[in-house]
Amino acid sequence: MPLKAWLAAGVLALAVLALAQEGVDPREEAKRQKQLLLETAGILPTELIVEQGKELFNRKGPSGKTMAECDFGLGKGVLEGAAARLPRYFLDTNRVEDLDGRIVTCMTRVQGFKPAQVKRSEVVAVAFYIASHSTGKPIQVRLLFPEERALYALGEKLFYARSGARDVGCATCHVTYVGKRAGVLPYADVLGKDKSWTHWPAYRYSNDQTWTMQDRIRACYGNIAHPQPDLYSLPILALELFLAYSNNGAVVEEWPAFVR
Amino acid sequence: MKKALLTLLALSLLAWGLAQRYFQDPELERVKSGGKAYAEVFVSQRPDQALCSIHRNRLPADLLPKFLEEQRSLIKYPQNGKLMGDWKKGGAIFNNLQKANCFSCHFGSPVHLGGDVGPSLEKYGLKRGQSEAVQRYTYEVIYNAWAYFPCTVMYRFGAQGLLTPEEIADVVAYLLDPESEFNTKPAVGSK
Repeated sequence: MPLKAWLAAGVLALAVLALAQEGVDPREEAKRQKQLLLETAGILPTELIVEQGKELFNRKGPSGKTMAECDFGLGKGVLEGAAARLPRYFLDTNRVEDLDGRIVTCMTRVQGFKPAQVKRSEVVAVAFYIASHSTGKPIQVRLLFPEERALYALGEKLFYARSGARDVGCATCHVTYVGKRAGVLPYADVLGKDKSWTHWPAYRYSNDQTWTMQDRIRACYGNIAHPQPDLYSLPILALELFLAYSNNGAVVEEWPAFVR
Repeated sequence: MKKALLTLLALSLLAWGLAQRYFQDPELERVKSGGKAYAEVFVSQRPDQALCSIHRNRLPADLLPKFLEEQRSLIKYPQNGKLMGDWKKGGAIFNNLQKANCFSCHFGSPVHLGGDVGPSLEKYGLKRGQSEAVQRYTYEVIYNAWAYFPCTVMYRFGAQGLLTPEEIADVVAYLLDPESEFNTKPAVGSK
């Protein structure tokens, strides 16, 4: 595995570099690190994971079907721009689903996997692959169905809630203290100019992590010692719908993204 | 007559309870899919947290007097009455990410580079002195920041049970004591 070894060495070197780089604009820094990694390893971790996702997408499940038999919102097997329109309500499941959730639905309902057989790492890889077909597309989520509106309203409330022993809440930092620093990075303006919804799924080079927005939201809570919502749960979906709708019209610069 | 009064009392209590709540039952049902520990903090959201949530951290002026009074009433003091404890113990608390995590938001620690979410505390004790008034103010802000700054991001260390009164007195000493390394050593990142 010479390629993987190279990548591992590159990532380690970057992590050390990252620690030494404080006070630099994190976006510019990520671009620089990406270029550096591309020059040393010849390929980006994001590209590797997209490739893995593609293989999984075309793998036949117990039912003999690949994921090309699934509808991600724009029709069977249509991936172009599909991720930029999620989360949304799906008639066949009678639920609002995001990219992660829809992949699970595809694997269980169409491909015939048992829920226990669905590996998180595979869902993430497929999410990277499907998202890669939305680079350059504008975010277009809607609040058409009652369940979409209900989840949006819940997401907004969760975003502004103060809760837990530390009285924390998303807005208390990501609205009130945008640009201020607690720890290494300044707080992003997630509803406004930073368009944070368009930054996930992403590869985080500082920690060698492949995350979708579900993982990112869980980490937000975890970092401030607040209990985390379970993966694929409604509160995560509600926050996602609120964030995505707030960033409607924003063009996806690159999916999967490459972030600090 | 007695029954009517009781009914009225029950109704007004119910109205008060509903007015103070931020999440409604159908919303809490959905939140429950996030898991037991996650749902619990929303199901048992405190009335003061609910108020800050409803008003998005900016309380209307007419609510302030009562809110401040309630927050003040939560403040308790160390058994021995001393508001300044052991600065060395206080330093360990101040500079611990898992414990009080003060340095993440405040500049001034000689151990860690501080953030700028809160005001700089650089050489806090040297600038303010150690008068009873300064000790009391510092202690009370750490014990319950909402008694001075309603709905602020700063944790309510004493009021929420994150630190004991004695631990808070130790942190006060770390900030105020002229012997404390917080005042004798340069802050990380100071020019």
